[in-house]
Parts: sequence; structure tokens; C-alpha cells
Amino acid sequence: MDIVDGAPTSGEYLTFTLGAEEYGIDILKVQEIRGYEAVTRIANAPAFIKGVINLRGVIVPIVDLRIKFNLGEPSYDQFTVVIILNIGKRVMGIVVDGVSDVIQLNADSLHPAPEFGSILDTRYLLGLGTVEERMIIMVDIERLMTSQEMALVETTAA
Amino acid sequence: MSQFFQVFFEETSEHLANMENLLLNLDVDTPSLEDLNAIFRAAHSIKGGSGTFGFTDMTGVTHVLEGLLDRLRKEELALRPEMVDAFLAAGDILRAQLEHHQGGPEADAGGIEEIRDRLTRLAAGDAAPSAPAPAPSGARARVLDLVCLFPPDLADSGEAVANFLAGLAEIAALDIRHRPDAANGLLEARLTTSLSDAELRDALAFYLAPEDISLAPATDREDAAYGLFDDAPENTAPAEDEGYGFFTDVEPARADPGYGFFHQELGASAPPLATESGDGAFGLFEDAPGAPESPAHQEISPAGGPVAVEGQGYGLFPDAPGAGGPARQSPPEPDKQATAPGASPGRRLSDKPGIEIARSGRRDNDKTVAASGSDTSIRVAVEKVDQLINLVGELVITQAMLAETAGGLDPIAAEKLLAGIELLSRNTRDLQESVMSIRMLPMSMVFSRFPRVVRDLAGKLNKQVEMRTLGENTELDKGLIEKITDPLTHLVRNSLDHGIETPDKRVAAGKNPKGTLTLKASHQGGAVVIEVMDDGGGLNRARILEKARERGLAVNDAMSDHEVWQLIFAPGFSTADVVTDVSGRGVGMDVVKRNIEGLGGKVELESSPGFGTRTVIRLPLTLAILDGMSVGVGGETFIVPITTVVESLQPSLDDIRTLAGDSRMIHIRGEYLPFIALAEVFGLPGVEDITRGLVVVVEGEEGRAALFVDELLGQHQVVIKSLEANYRKVPGMSGATIMGDGRVALILDVAAAIRLGLASGRRRAAA
Repeated sequence: MDIVDGAPTSGEYLTFTLGAEEYGIDILKVQEIRGYEAVTRIANAPAFIKGVINLRGVIVPIVDLRIKFNLGEPSYDQFTVVIILNIGKRVMGIVVDGVSDVIQLNADSLHPAPEFGSILDTRYLLGLGTVEERMIIMVDIERLMTSQEMALVETTAA
Repeated sequence: MSQFFQVFFEETSEHLANMENLLLNLDVDTPSLEDLNAIFRAAHSIKGGSGTFGFTDMTGVTHVLEGLLDRLRKEELALRPEMVDAFLAAGDILRAQLEHHQGGPEADAGGIEEIRDRLTRLAAGDAAPSAPAPAPSGARARVLDLVCLFPPDLADSGEAVANFLAGLAEIAALDIRHRPDAANGLLEARLTTSLSDAELRDALAFYLAPEDISLAPATDREDAAYGLFDDAPENTAPAEDEGYGFFTDVEPARADPGYGFFHQELGASAPPLATESGDGAFGLFEDAPGAPESPAHQEISPAGGPVAVEGQGYGLFPDAPGAGGPARQSPPEPDKQATAPGASPGRRLSDKPGIEIARSGRRDNDKTVAASGSDTSIRVAVEKVDQLINLVGELVITQAMLAETAGGLDPIAAEKLLAGIELLSRNTRDLQESVMSIRMLPMSMVFSRFPRVVRDLAGKLNKQVEMRTLGENTELDKGLIEKITDPLTHLVRNSLDHGIETPDKRVAAGKNPKGTLTLKASHQGGAVVIEVMDDGGGLNRARILEKARERGLAVNDAMSDHEVWQLIFAPGFSTADVVTDVSGRGVGMDVVKRNIEGLGGKVELESSPGFGTRTVIRLPLTLAILDGMSVGVGGETFIVPITTVVESLQPSLDDIRTLAGDSRMIHIRGEYLPFIALAEVFGLPGVEDITRGLVVVVEGEEGRAALFVDELLGQHQVVIKSLEANYRKVPGMSGATIMGDGRVALILDVAAAIRLGLASGRRRAAA
């Protein structure tokens, strides 16, 4: 498939693990990384939306990507990590199993992801990268988080 | 320059507001001289400012306005109600012009002309309908010789000259002897006028620099000696010093610029400048003797001249005997006085020096007051204040967390720490209060616009209404202040149109022909209560019921008054027979109600036939803070706005009835209310056993309902945070807040929660 327009030619990516898989997102979208704390649940929201937290006075929604991508049974302990993202003018958090690395990747070293009909639509993938024999799934986090299926952002269609 | 414009705009709108306020409070029969003077000063300041900044359209209007005011304050004319109307209209025109200069739409040119005409006619007074001989009682018509030198560029354009002459013709009869042209910019004319020299100079100051104007009593007439003879004895004393001669020449510049044109420009800085420049002025004069006398004073730059002279006015005259004396004796060439520019000062000085001094002194005071007034407030962007409020909110939460943690410490070992935390909590609370108070504005901000509304409307409706306001100092959040104005205006118009009767009806009912409309604001337990009361005819129960039936609303005669009054809030409801341009279209009350409920408030009506109507609006103190009751449901905390809570009680199984099998109702004090278990609505593991939970009876837009919750946790003031900023609207919730322990709690949107509850009940019934 085509590389998504606007894909960075080269840049730094934050990689994190979800189950056994390793994912990478544009580091410029990351505001901070913090431990998981109790959330306030939101009624009648999809299961992957854990709820909202108070981030220094700002109400921030928290999404558990493990639930969203169906990657095993999510557990919450002192090692569970929340990555706070800055997307557009919004602040939101994603729960992941752990943050592993910051890597540099060139656009050339990205391989297009094959169409699999997986839960994670290839629309949201920048491609697959390889670092030291590890495969890293590069996610267009902005496109993913603002998508209708994440139900994080009010859409006019609703 | 633009920042000066801004200052001018602000000052002018203040002056206009002030003027309007004074006019409205003016007692037409016995106007207080003080008020008239204050109005005059306001008009005068606007004129000065607009002249300085080149807004000649405003100068033109204020000029005629001021002319009339001046005659009023000198008691040459008696104040009449139509004058007040004209003044108010002129104020509106000025405001429109001001808005135009600020980038608004152009002011209506026809209106400007009309108001100028109106004011001029009023100023001419009925006593003197023919302009050529304005000789009203108290003022003597005088004949003066006027000599003005037009700068070549002005003289060249005939327009400026024509304007000047037209302006002059408004205030005096003219006999032009030499019309200025490009070759010779000199204007010589003989004036017949009742105005004083100061007024004339004032009037002319728009067109020409004051140094270029010379006024003197006509020389070839007996009574023209008037001014001269006063001086004559002193004139015999020869000039002691050439320097003093020069000094005198500058005098005319003093009288006018200090008075009419420049003092505005000097603005707040005048008092300090005055002392300083007083010295400067004297320094200048000491150097002066060599300067050629007559042209010299014309070349003093307008900026330097008036400042120096202002210094003289303040510095010199109070000690008049020493300094004023020589000046008065000095005119070196008395024979030239009639024509030479700047020769009149001798007369002027002897004219009424005492009064001149008094006036300058007074202006000085006014300026000081104004200056200190503007220094005590600053304009800050609302976002900055909101940011501050947010930060303090954070601080309060942090402090609460600290206090909680410290609670577990050994009070003896950690004595100092605990004392510090105690102090911190007190300071934080004070800080929060002060910060919140920044956004608070007094109700007078809203109330102050109503005297005008009432006055205009009462006039239009031929009613007599007296307006009273109480509790203007009650403070309310800025956001609320802005949004409450329109609903209040609606209510006031309603009261005037439908409430207060015409004077003859009132007399027939044995009431004072003058109706009273009262606006009152007060604090009542964390809420602000605003009342609009009239002593009119009250609501007509029968009429309302009849209209309601016509409109097909479900009504019956057994309804309580309270329920009947509520009908008024139905959309499109109006009992007025005639739709007037004031009200009666029936778009009012439902909008009022919706607006006020949108602000988290409530409206209630009370009325008694023949005695009047009272509308009570209850508002939260601020939009940012909500009084809430926190309830626990399935481990989560929800905030129920306290304004919606009617009562809370422990239900017993006997009170619960089912309807059509599954929809549950609860029987409370003779009423069957829908029973809504919040845990079910929000899919939470709440308490199942009804006897172990509690019921909170709430009132939403569509009536009451009983919300079933696990427990009541307490009552808090919570800071409202937006959920939509980072997330989206959550059904059944109006927002979120952060509790003392740092956790987020959602704020229930009661009306929406009831709808959700009823819908889930139906779904369950259908399943």
C-alpha cells in the first residue's frame, strides 16, 4: 500500500510493548509518560476507554490499547504505563504494557504492512520497521486516536 | 498614537455614561448646579479630546451640546424636559460616532444634523427665536471686534473659512469686514453676541489656534469701551519691563488653551507638569525681552505655549498679587489694543481673575480624581484570570492531598510540618477566595442600564414609572453578568408594558399615578437572587387560563396559582391583546426561562391582582463553581447540582410500585415519581437492595424524578471542568470536576439523566 501522506521521512519514535508486540509512535506526539493510576469510569463508553483522570487539573481520557487491539488480558500494576499524547489541541492517554526505547528510523526502512484484515486497520499504520531484528509496528497515532472507531472525538456524523 | 486613541475611546465612553447617568438623575424643575456643571464638564472633556484627536464630527456635536449646557449652568436658560431628551439623544449620537471611530458602522448623518439643529434651537432659547439678536435675559448683547489670522493653507481652502463662519454665525451675529483669502489670511469681523469672551474663544478654538484669534470690544462704540475703561486707570502706569510686556501677550493663550482646548491633552499628567513648566515658563520669559513682541507670541509652538501657560495659570495666579499685578499694569501700547492680536489680555485679566482661578483650581481637582480613579483598576484579559483560577484550583487540590497525607503523621514529631500545612490550607483558601473575586462584578453593571430603558419605555407607553434599585453592590460572576442582561431587560419591559398601568387607571384603582419598578439583588445562601418587582395590576389568572385553553394546553381551574404562573413560560404565550413594539409577541418569557436555566438558575413568579408582580431569578454565584451533592453509585462518585435537588430520603419497599410490570415508580407524599436507579442507567454494580440505598428527588426540565443511589457522600463546591476539551460529551453528564483526593467525579446533567433512565426503563420493558 501507499505510504501514508505526510509520513515523516526520518524521525524519532517511541516504542512500547503491547503483549508480545512492539509498537512505535512519533515521539513529537508524546507529552509525558506516567504510571497508571485509578481512573474514573465513564458510563456506557466502550470497554477500551478506561475512563478519565485528572492530569494537573485537566480531565484526560485514558484508552487501553491492549483492550482495543485485543492483546491478552490487561493487568494493572505498578509497572503499567500510561503515555500521555498531545494530538492536535487535545490531550489523551494510552495504557501500554511498557515503554521500551526511542529509535530513529528512515522512511526507506519502513516496509508497508500487508493487508491482513487485522483488528488494527492498515489505514492507521505507517508501516513496519526493523530494529536489531525486532519488528516494530509503526502507528499513525494521530489518525488512530482521532478516528471514529476510537470514539474519543466527537464526530459530526454522530 | 493608537494607544492614545484607546485611552480617548475609554475615557469618552466613561464620560458619556457619566453624562447619561447625571441626566437621568437630574431634577428638571430644580436642577442642581453641581450636576449641570458635571454634565458640562463631561461634554467639554469629550469635545476637548475629540478635537485633539481630530474627530471633528464629535467635536461638532459636543460643541452645540456644550453651548446649551453652558447657558443652563449659567442660569441663562431654564432646564426643560425636552432639553434632557435632546441631551440624551445627543449622547446616543456621540456614542454612535465613537463606535464609528472604533471601527463600527457609520453614525447616522441625518440624526447628527437633526440633533445639532435641535440643540441649537434649544440653545437659542424661545426667548430669542431670531438668531441675529440673541439677547436673553441675564446676558447683555455685546459688540466685539474679532480679528483672526488664518494660516495660509487654511485660508486658501474656502471650505475651512466657510465652516468657521458658519460656526460663528451660530453663536453670534456677524458683520464681516474682511474675508480671508489666499493672499491675506486675516479675518476681520464685528460680532454681536451675548456670549462671554471665554465662550467665544472656546467656540473658535476648533477652527484656529487660539494665538491667532483676537477679540476685543468694538472700538468705535460707546459701550465697547466697557472692557477698556476698567483697565484704563491701571494702564496709566507705564510698563516697567519689556519682558513683562511680552508676558502679557501670551495671556490670551493662557485663558483659552488652559480652559477649552488643551487641557484634555494634558490629561492626567497636568498637575506635575504644571509645577515644572511653571518654572520653564518663567525661564522662557526671562530670555524673552529681545524677542520682537507682536509676531513672537504667534510663533510659540502650540504645544509649548499652552503647557507653559497652564503652569502660569496654576502656579502664578494663586499668588496673584505679586505676579498678576505687574502683568495687569503692563500693556505697553494701549492704543493698539483694539486690533492687535494678544492685546486684550489686560482687559481679560481685570475681567474676572477670581473666577478664572477658581475654575482652574476646580479642573485641577477633577483631574486628580480622574487620574487616581483610572490608576486603581487595570484591564486584564479574561483568559489570564481564568488561568489563574485554574491554577489556584490545582493548588487547593494539592493542598488537600498534602493535608490528607499529613493526617497520618505523628502530631508531636511532625508538629512544625503540621502547623505549616495548617497555615498553607488557610492561605490557600484565602487565595482562592480572592482569585475568584476577580471575576466578580457588582450588579450595578447591569442595573445601571435600566434607568434609561425605563425612562424611554415609560415615555413611549405614556406611563409614569419610578425605578428603584437595591443591592447594586451584590457581586456576580462576569460571565453571568453578561448573560443576565438580556433576560432582565425582557422582564423589565414586560413589567412596564403589561404590569404597570397607565396613570389614569392607577388613579382609578386608588394608587399613586406613578408606578414603581424595583430591581433588587441579594445573596441568599450561595446563590444570587435578582428580583424584578412592579406595583402594577398583577397577572390575570382567568386570562392566562383562557389563553392556555385557546392554545390547547392542558389546564383546569383547580390549578394552583404557582402552576398557572408557570404557563406564562410556555413558548409563544402572550396574554397581550395588542402586539406592541415593546412586547406582546409572546417570545419573551420562555426565552427568559431557558436562558436562566442555561445559567444554572431558576425563575419564579409571584403575583397578586392589583398589587403587582414579582419575578425572582436565582443564579449560582459563578459559572465556574457549582454547589453539588456528591453521591456514590457502584464505587463511583457523581455530583448532583444542588439546585436540582428537592429532597433525599430512605425509601421503603412499600413505596415502590411497578407500572406495566417493570417500570418502577416511587410514592412520595402523594406523588408518583419515576424511580431511576443510576447504577442501572450507567451500568455500574450498584446496590440492589432498595432499603440499603437512598433516593434523591430531583427536579429537571420535564418534572421530578427519584434517583436511586448507594449513598450520599456530602455537599461540595466543585470547580466545573470540561469533558469535551479532551474527550467528548458523555450522555447524562454535564461536565466533570476534581475532588479533594485528586480523583475525577462526573457532574450529573439531571434532565438528561432522567431521560436516559426513562429510556432504559422502556428498553427493559420492551425486552
